[in-house]
Amino acid sequence: MNDDLNKSRRNFIKKASLAAGITLAAGAIGIEKFLSAKSVPKKKTLVLTPDGKVYQANCGELKEFNPPPVSNLEARKGIPNKKFVMVIDEAKCDGCKACTEACQSMHFIESDREWIKVFKMQDSESTSPYFFPKPCFHCDNPPCTKVCPVNATFKRQDGIVLIDNERCIGCRSCMVACPYSTRFFNWSHPKADQIAETGNMQYSPELSLPRRMGTVEKCDFCPDMIRKGLLPACVSGCAMDAIYFGDQNEDAVTNASGVTVKFSQLLEDNAGYRHLEDLGTEPRVYYLPPKNRKYPKPDMNASGKELNQTEMKMGDMRMSE
Amino acid sequence: MINEKYDLKKEIEIVREDCLRPTRRWGRSTQIWIGCLLIMIGWGIYCYIHQLRQGLGVTAMRNYVSWGLYISTFVFFIGISHSGTLVSAILRITKQEWRRPITRSAELLTFVSLLFGGIMPIIDLGRPDRLVNLVIFGRVQSPLMWDIISICTYFVGSSVFLFLPMIPDIALCRDRLTVCETRFDKFRKWLYTKMAIGWKGTKTQWHLLEKSMTIMTIIIIPVAVSVHTVVSYIFAMTLRPGWDSTVFGPYFVAGALYSGSAGVILGMAAFRKLYHLEKYITKRHFDLMGRIVLALTLIYAYLNLNEYWIPAYKMATSEGHLLEDLFYGSYSKLFWTLQFGTVLLPILILSIPKGRTVLMISITCIIIVIGAWVKRYVIVVPTLLHPFMPIQEVPKDWSTYFPNWVEFSITGACLAGIFLVITLFSKLFPMMAIWEVEEGLLIEHDRQLAIDIRLKREASERVINIEKLNGEKVSTEVEPIKPTVITS
Amino acid sequence: MKSIIINRYFLKKLGFTIAVSSILFNISTAQITEKRTTTIQLSFYKKANISKTIVGTVKAKNEEGKFLPAINAKVNFYLVNNNAQTFLKAAYTNKAGKANIILPENLPLDTGHCFTIAAKIENDKVFEDAVEELRYKEANLELKLAPYDTSRIAKAVLKTIGKNGEVIPVQDVEIKFYVKRLFGFMPAAEDYTLATDENGEASFTYPKDIMGDTAGILTVVARIDDNELFGNMEYQAVTAWGTVLLKEKEPFPRALWEPYAPLPLIITIAVLFGGVWFTYLIIFYSLYKIKKEKSDEQIEFEAIIKQ
Ligand code: SF4
Ligand code: SF4
Repeated sequence: MNDDLNKSRRNFIKKASLAAGITLAAGAIGIEKFLSAKSVPKKKTLVLTPDGKVYQANCGELKEFNPPPVSNLEARKGIPNKKFVMVIDEAKCDGCKACTEACQSMHFIESDREWIKVFKMQDSESTSPYFFPKPCFHCDNPPCTKVCPVNATFKRQDGIVLIDNERCIGCRSCMVACPYSTRFFNWSHPKADQIAETGNMQYSPELSLPRRMGTVEKCDFCPDMIRKGLLPACVSGCAMDAIYFGDQNEDAVTNASGVTVKFSQLLEDNAGYRHLEDLGTEPRVYYLPPKNRKYPKPDMNASGKELNQTEMKMGDMRMSE
Repeated sequence: MINEKYDLKKEIEIVREDCLRPTRRWGRSTQIWIGCLLIMIGWGIYCYIHQLRQGLGVTAMRNYVSWGLYISTFVFFIGISHSGTLVSAILRITKQEWRRPITRSAELLTFVSLLFGGIMPIIDLGRPDRLVNLVIFGRVQSPLMWDIISICTYFVGSSVFLFLPMIPDIALCRDRLTVCETRFDKFRKWLYTKMAIGWKGTKTQWHLLEKSMTIMTIIIIPVAVSVHTVVSYIFAMTLRPGWDSTVFGPYFVAGALYSGSAGVILGMAAFRKLYHLEKYITKRHFDLMGRIVLALTLIYAYLNLNEYWIPAYKMATSEGHLLEDLFYGSYSKLFWTLQFGTVLLPILILSIPKGRTVLMISITCIIIVIGAWVKRYVIVVPTLLHPFMPIQEVPKDWSTYFPNWVEFSITGACLAGIFLVITLFSKLFPMMAIWEVEEGLLIEHDRQLAIDIRLKREASERVINIEKLNGEKVSTEVEPIKPTVITS
Repeated sequence: MKSIIINRYFLKKLGFTIAVSSILFNISTAQITEKRTTTIQLSFYKKANISKTIVGTVKAKNEEGKFLPAINAKVNFYLVNNNAQTFLKAAYTNKAGKANIILPENLPLDTGHCFTIAAKIENDKVFEDAVEELRYKEANLELKLAPYDTSRIAKAVLKTIGKNGEVIPVQDVEIKFYVKRLFGFMPAAEDYTLATDENGEASFTYPKDIMGDTAGILTVVARIDDNELFGNMEYQAVTAWGTVLLKEKEPFPRALWEPYAPLPLIITIAVLFGGVWFTYLIIFYSLYKIKKEKSDEQIEFEAIIKQ
C-alpha cells in the first residue's frame, strides 16, 4: 500500500513537473518564435521533450505546441465524473467586461456578439442595479438541447452543452428555445481575417472553431482549456476575481487568482442563487448577490443611451421575476 | 309522376360539359397569368440563390428575431391547408348535400398550401444542404421533428384525399379526350391514363373507392388537427413569454380552420367567376360557408380572449412587458387593427343576412386571410423581441425587425407557386367533383321519386280514410312536383 | 500556477495577439521618448524538492504614474556567487508581466546553503534598467502520511542543512495544508496554517468531508507561501482520504435532452402515426385492387373463352 502510494505519487510528481515544464517551455517557445520571426532569424532555444530531455533547437524549426482536438465522439461524451459549475459574484463584478474581451479573443468572436455578456440589471425601480455577466448557463434541463432536431447541440456527461457545427442544420429552434438569449447564429460567412486565422484549425465541437455560416454558436465553457487543466478564458480574464469555475463533484471552484474555495460553502455563505430559477432549466451557473459592493453601481440612466434601442422602457430593463 | 320534361341524362351531360370545358381551352389571359407567376417564381429563385450563397444575413433576421417572415408564412400556409379537411371531410361525414360542388377546390387548396407550407422552413434553414441529417440523426424529442412527421403524414393523406375522388373524373377526362393531335394532348392523354389507374367504373371499383373515401374522410380529421397542434408546439414548447401557453394548440387549430375556410370561400368565388360555375356554386353555398366562417370566427375570438385576457389579468413580469408592447406599445396599432378587422368585423358582417352576399363574404374573407397572415407575424416576432434578458448594447438591426426585399421576394414566389399549381391543376382536371355532383343529381332525383310515391300513397290513404268516414269518392289527382336540382 | 494559467493565452492565440499587441507596442514606443520606470520582484518556487522556478514580476510606470505589468520585457537572470555573476537565462514577460525560468538542478550553493539570483532588465528599448537580487536558502519539505491510518493526519517536515552539513529541522515556518482540485489548491479547512515545531514538523488533521474521486483518492498538498528564506515550497501526496464519488449510473439516460428519447414518447408517436400510416396502407392496397380490377366486359370475355 505504502509502496503503491509512493509509486503513484512519484509518477504523479514526474508527470506534474513534466506538464508544467512543457507548458512553460511551449510558452517561451511561442514568444521566442514570434520574436525570431520579427528580428533575429536564427535564434536558439531550449526545448524540453516529452521524454524529459532538454536540448537546444533552432526556433525556426519549432512548431507551436497544439495538441490535436479530441474526436467528435469524445467531445460528445465529455469528461467522465465531472460536473462543471461556474459561480459569478455580482458583489465583485464592476462591469469592466474583461471577461468578455478575454472570451472574444480566445474564440475569435466577431465584435457584435458576446458569448459572455455583462448586463446592467435592475430587478425593479426601487432595487439597486448591478452588473450581471451572463455566459451560457449549460442548463441541466436544457430547453435548447431538447428542441434540436438533429442532436447538433448536445449535453455531455460533464454538464457542458456544446454545438456540433458540422451537423447543425441551422433551424434556429435552439435560439428561440433558450430563455437566456445565449445563442448566436452565423448569418453570413465569417470575415476574411477570421478565415485567415481559424480556417486551418481542425474542427472539434470543443473548439467551436472554425465557425461556419448557417450554424449556431455560443459559450462553450472552453472545454479544450479544461482538458489542459486550465480555467476558461473569462474566468482567468476577470481582473476582479468575480468568476469562479470548478468541478461540482470536487465541490471546489477556482477564480482568476487561483483562490480555490469550497463550492457548497461559497453558496451557503453568500446566499448563492441561479438566474430565473423558476423556469426550471437548472443552470450550472450560480450567482452571488451584489452585497457590500466596493465599486459604484451601474448607472441605469447612462446605459439607456448606449442601448441602441430608442423605445426601450424601464420595464424592459428589468429581468423577469 | 315525375316531371316528364326533366331529363336526368341530359342534366348529367350538362354538368360534365361545364366541368370539363375549362380544361379544353388555354386562353390568352391564362397564359399571361401563368407568365406573371413564372416571373415572380423566377425572381424568388434568384433571391433564394442569393440567400444560399450569402447566408441568411441577407434577410432582415438577426440574433433576437431569428425567426421572421418565413416561419410566420409557414404557419399561415399550414393554417390555410386546414380548409380541405374541414369543408370536405366534415361536410362529407355529416352528409351535407351542398358540399358536392366545392369539395374539390377545398382539397386542392389543402394540398397546395401544404406543399408550399412545407417548403417554407426549408427556405428558413441555415444549412439546407444538411437536410439529410434529419434522417440520419433525427431526434424524436424535437417539436420540429414532430412537425416534419405530421406534415408528411398530412401531406400524403391530403394527396390521397384529393386523388381518390378524382379517379372517376380523370377516367372521364381520359375517355372524353379522343382526338390527340398536339403533343400536349398526347401528354394529357398519357397523364390521364396513368392517373386513372385503370378505372372502369365496375361495381367492385366503386365499392372500393367508396370504402377508401370513408376511411380517409375519418382519418384525415385527426391528422389535420395534429398538424396544426404540432405546429403550435414549436412555439409553445419554449419558455418564451407569449408562446409559453397551454391554449396554443387549440388556438392555432381554430385560427387555421377559420383562415382556411375563408381561403376556400375565396377559391370558390374565383372559380365560380372564372369558370362560370354560377349554376353550381350558388349564393346558397356562400351563405352556408359564411355561416361556417362566422361560427369559426366566434370560436377563434373565444380562444383569442383566452390567449390574451388571462395573462393580461395577471400581468406576470415578462409576459407583462410583451403584452404592454402589444396593447399600447410599438405593436399596438397592428394588434388592435387585427383584433377589430379580423375578429370583430367578420362577426358583424357575417351575422347579418345582408352581409352574406357573395361580394361581402368575399371581401370579408380577403380581410380574414390577410389578417391571419399578419396575425402569425404578430405571434412570432414581438415575442422574439421580448426575451427574458434585456436587450442591451446590441447593433441596432438586432433589436428591430421588418422583413426585407429578399424575404418578401421569396415568400411572394411561394405564394405565386401556390397560384401556379392551382391554375395548372384547374387547367388539367375538372375543378368540381363531377361524379359527386352527378350522384347528387341522382339522389335528388330518387328523392323526388320517393316523394312522389309517398305523396301518392298518402293521398290515396287519405282518400280511403275520407271514403271510410264519408263514404264518398275523392279525386286522387296530386300536383306533380318539379324536381329541384340541389344547385338552385 | 498562475503564470501557467496566464501562459495559455500565448499557447492559444499566439501569432495573432502578440503580433497585434507588439505592433501597437512599437507604435507607442516610438511616441515615448523616455524609458519607463520599472521594478522587478522575484519569487522562488520549489516543487517536490526537485523542480525550481524563478519568477520575475516586472512592473512599469505608465503616463499616469501607475505601476502596471510590463509586457514583453526581456529579463536576464544571473546566479550571483561571491560577487561573480553567471548568466543563467533570459525570459520575456507575459501579459501579467511575469517572466520565469527553470533553475538547473545542481545549483552551486554558498556556505550558508543558499543561492542568490539576480534579475535584470538591461538595455531595453522601452523599460529602464532595473535590478533585483534575492537570496534563498535550500530546504526540503516533505509530507508524510500514515499509510494505514484513518486519523487523516498529514505530517509536514521541513529540514535544511546546517553549516557542518548536518540536517537540521526548521522551526516556526508557517505551512499551509491544501487539497488539490482541478484548477487549484483548496485550503483543507478554515484553519489550514500550522507552524513547524522544534522538530520541523507540523501535523495537520484533514477533515472528513472532502470529495475524492470515484475511489476516494485525493491529492493533499503542503505549501510554504512567500517565506523570506525559503521562497515558495510545495509538496504533494496522494491518499484515499476523500469521500468516494458515486459514479453516475447512467451518464446518458433516455431523456428529452439526450440523443435517445424516453420510451413513452417513442411509443406514443409510433402508435399515433403508425396507426395513421397503417390506414394509409389499407387505402393504397384498395387503390392497387382498383387498378387490378377487370372490367365487366373483360370478365364476360374471359368467361366466354373458358367455355
Ligand atoms: S443557457 Fe440557453 S443555450 Fe445555454 S444551456 Fe441553457 S438553454 Fe441552452
Ligand atoms: S440550429 Fe442547429 S443546433 Fe440549433 S436546433 Fe437547429 S440544428 Fe440544432
